Amino acid sequence: MIWRSVDLRRTALRTLLQLQLNMAASTFCPVLLPLSRINCKLNGIYTLILLNKTAAYSTGLSVKKTGAKTGLPQRGGKELRRQIKQVLQPRTERMAVDQDWTAVYPTAASFKADAVPLPVRMGYPVKKGVPPSKKGNLELLKIPNFLHLTPNAIKKQCEALKPFCTEWPAALDSDEKCEKHFPIQVQKKDYVFAGPSLRHPDARIVTLTVKLSSLNLDDHARKKMIKLSGERYNKDTDTLTITADSCPLKQQNHDYAMYMLTVLYHESWKIEAWEKEKTRADMEEYVWEDSPSQKNILETLLRIRPLSEQQEEGEVREELLGREEVQEYKDSVTKLKNEGETEGNMQQYKEAVKKLLSI
Amino acid sequence: MCWIIFFFKLITVIEEPDTLFQTLTVLVKGHDKAVLDSYEFLASMAAKELGLTLAKVSEPPKNIERLTLLKSVHIFKKHRVQYEMRTHFRCIEISKVTGSTAQVYLEYIQRNLPEGMAMEVTKTPFIYMRSFSNSDVSVFHMLKPDSV
Repeated sequence: MIWRSVDLRRTALRTLLQLQLNMAASTFCPVLLPLSRINCKLNGIYTLILLNKTAAYSTGLSVKKTGAKTGLPQRGGKELRRQIKQVLQPRTERMAVDQDWTAVYPTAASFKADAVPLPVRMGYPVKKGVPPSKKGNLELLKIPNFLHLTPNAIKKQCEALKPFCTEWPAALDSDEKCEKHFPIQVQKKDYVFAGPSLRHPDARIVTLTVKLSSLNLDDHARKKMIKLSGERYNKDTDTLTITADSCPLKQQNHDYAMYMLTVLYHESWKIEAWEKEKTRADMEEYVWEDSPSQKNILETLLRIRPLSEQQEEGEVREELLGREEVQEYKDSVTKLKNEGETEGNMQQYKEAVKKLLSI
Repeated sequence: MCWIIFFFKLITVIEEPDTLFQTLTVLVKGHDKAVLDSYEFLASMAAKELGLTLAKVSEPPKNIERLTLLKSVHIFKKHRVQYEMRTHFRCIEISKVTGSTAQVYLEYIQRNLPEGMAMEVTKTPFIYMRSFSNSDVSVFHMLKPDSV
């Protein structure tokens, strides 16, 4: 039973190859798809299967035209047998070394062992053996291949894409210039993935960053803005970060972030009535004027050189405060209080005190 | 048979100003490191061919998600089986791109994204004075006069 079907297949193959070769010789077009509709007198199913297989590509073989159009192959045709043998061999045997690979794999396609002339081996090796060869290797089929993206192919495709690109303006060559002209930065994210839906929930998030030094703020406005932003302000980099994610669409979140920035700005410029009641405890940084340190130093200096009756206390105060040593002392104390205790700060304080008390 | 070739305009130039991106970060995720390596080669070569500046190509550390399940359907609590899912990353950062070039590059990259890989693109565009969104125009009065 099996023997008979093989025999039938072989004869069917011979006939159809003859047909195909004749067709290829007589017409110039390499497209052989219409062949599938030819009514063959042989076993129906087998013929169709074989036609699909052989019609995948043109053989490009030169064939001698036989006299009969749809005649049966001649018995013992050496030429025909050789041609059939060539077609049954894998395509890799007939590939030239300098062929155009982009024609073999123009688009993404699965790995075809008969079309890739590389001795690839993939898979876990058998005991005391080697990884299985490429013929019928499922591992090579499963993994995505980049055979359609060789360096040549990438170059060709990029050459074709180049006309659609635009150049970066030459005036914005450094980071500082970009920051100077475009201080507000908005960060948005897009996602490409496979899933039941195209939408990614995090795609709506918009992050706005701006440096406060680039905004038009005076001292009071800057301090108020920092207080209003709270956690969103980074002292080290002087950046305010506003993240908007409450709206469902990206554009809405972008608008909301811009609105938040505008509101913060205008609110920080306003001076409310209750802001007059700001105490020393609310101050962001240490201020030397009217501090216990100032009072102490004035008292000490007055004790060193007691007040004579002609001079008034107010004048003496002004004069003392205006002195260089007092100014130095003031700087060192402010530094200590604001920046914390470091070697340099302590040294500076020591020198200032020594100078002041003329030790 | 003679072939008639039709010429048609592929490129149209619009009056609208091109967006400018300060940075364009492409983060690719996958389960196979070899595929990620090949994709990185593709992305960096494409960037070079199109004339883009590759600021950084880095490999963030992989993320392994492990779970322990019972080996058997019923009882045998002491015998379990462990699975893990490894996600490898690759980060490609491109600085100073125009909108058109970014669109071309991203489309090329995304069309050649292999199966089983995901991508996250972070864009940082510059906000223009001449932008068409009302919210953007309102922001510019807040900036210092010498900056814009």
